[in-house]
Amino acid sequence: MTFAERMLKIDRRIIFVVIGLCTLLPLLYPVGLPIKVSQEVRGVYDHIESLPERSVFLLSLDFDPASKPELYPQAVAILRHAFKKNLRVVAMTLWVSGTGMADELLTKVADESGKQRGTDFVFLGWSPGGTAVIINLGQDLYNAFPSDYGGKPTKGQPVLEGVNNLKDVAYAVSLGAGNPGVEAWYVFGKDKYKFELGGGCTGVMAPGLYPLLRSGQINGLIGGLRGAAEYESLIGQKGRAVAGMDAQSATHVAIIVLVALCNVFYFALRRQARQQGSQS
Amino acid sequence: MDATIIGAWVATGLTLFIFSFLYKDNPLFKLAENLYVGVSVGYTIVKTYDTVIVHLIWKPIVENHEWTLLIPVAIGLLMLTRYVPKAAWLSRYAFAFIVGVGAGLAIPRTVSSFILKQIEDTVRPLLTLVPGEGAAFSWNLLNPASSINVIIVLIGVSSVLFYFFFSVEHSGPGKTVARTGVMFLMIAFGAAFGYTVMARMSLLIGRLTDLIEYSDPSYGRPTLWLALVTIGTLIFLSRRAHGEPPDHH
Repeated sequence: MTFAERMLKIDRRIIFVVIGLCTLLPLLYPVGLPIKVSQEVRGVYDHIESLPERSVFLLSLDFDPASKPELYPQAVAILRHAFKKNLRVVAMTLWVSGTGMADELLTKVADESGKQRGTDFVFLGWSPGGTAVIINLGQDLYNAFPSDYGGKPTKGQPVLEGVNNLKDVAYAVSLGAGNPGVEAWYVFGKDKYKFELGGGCTGVMAPGLYPLLRSGQINGLIGGLRGAAEYESLIGQKGRAVAGMDAQSATHVAIIVLVALCNVFYFALRRQARQQGSQS
Repeated sequence: MDATIIGAWVATGLTLFIFSFLYKDNPLFKLAENLYVGVSVGYTIVKTYDTVIVHLIWKPIVENHEWTLLIPVAIGLLMLTRYVPKAAWLSRYAFAFIVGVGAGLAIPRTVSSFILKQIEDTVRPLLTLVPGEGAAFSWNLLNPASSINVIIVLIGVSSVLFYFFFSVEHSGPGKTVARTGVMFLMIAFGAAFGYTVMARMSLLIGRLTDLIEYSDPSYGRPTLWLALVTIGTLIFLSRRAHGEPPDHH
């Protein structure tokens, strides 16, 4: 067996160990590689930055714990920014399995920023219907969510003063890990009720959302952990996403090297087989 | 014991049990996998019951006397007739209602958002009007709205659409156009794969970050102890499998 053949039949567990080490070592010994902020992430940041104080900011946390490593840091960074700008935050989720995590996240960031539930922010929780909830919100917020996550009636809460439906929202961001998510918020929300919309998503979903960004259907897009790291850099509060970027870069280099090596070995074997064929 | 510490031990254990699959399939992985499915289904059922049955149906009807809610409840209950063969036909009314409302809501909005808006973006003017300079052609590849990018998008959309047009044989000039479409598709698949790799690595980073955090003495070092338990179990299971007589079925 030639070296190339041996390499192409290598035990896949060795590759797992290589990837594991490439992830673990930069997390233990970070080097702090620079993070360049992309235009799409800046789109969300700039819009929140341009909003006047006490504007209504709707954040839909459309993900569950399975996507936590990518979308949780995005949510933390956006909430920190919104609270710093003193916006009224109306949070909700279209994913029933994400309700507990969303409430915990919101409470944590609000406590850290010294914000009051009911005055500065509200968590509406989850309501059944998926995309129909967005349409319902567009018509009457109090009909879609008669009470908040804690069971307190939504009507009369100071944070929702002057807010009747989606038309009263200054800016909405959906952090989505699938359907319903960013696309649903555009199709059944922005396109119908005309409010400004930004998006955040997992890395897997990002290429599919770029057409919406280019056409101006969404005004910004935060893609995966990298997008979260860019947002953390923009608000000047580096967190888990920035800490993970060295590991992300190291694993990407490892994968590029592995793909290149596999191609080298594959072509070496093909040439060898061709030479053997011409000799016989 | 503090709930945070218990949570740290549970999260660490389940993460390590799931990671043990990378070595090979084993009972620890099966335990974690089945727990994940069971807990997520249980959580969803409880949350749905609390939100829908208690807060959106029971309380409004009993406490606020909103009797009109009985109409959607009745339509919803028709779904359950699927379990009674003689009355199963009644569920068709519920399905018809859902399909009708769903299609009515989705079709116009989807056509508007994904077809009309995207066509509008694909057929942008090739030249931009600059005040005082007249029509200008911009070569900036980094600007999504530049003239060169408009041409690339137009060529990409046309060639990919032609590639999926099977009524004409892809030969001669048609072959070149179809091949161009394939190249655009390959670039799109490459970009999607790159993002997928990034996403999967992010998940790994997330779990490893937690494992590092939970190796702290304030949590009782669950990462260290549970890693030893996992490795020990894998060694034990591997030795036991070697010691067993071969199966002669």
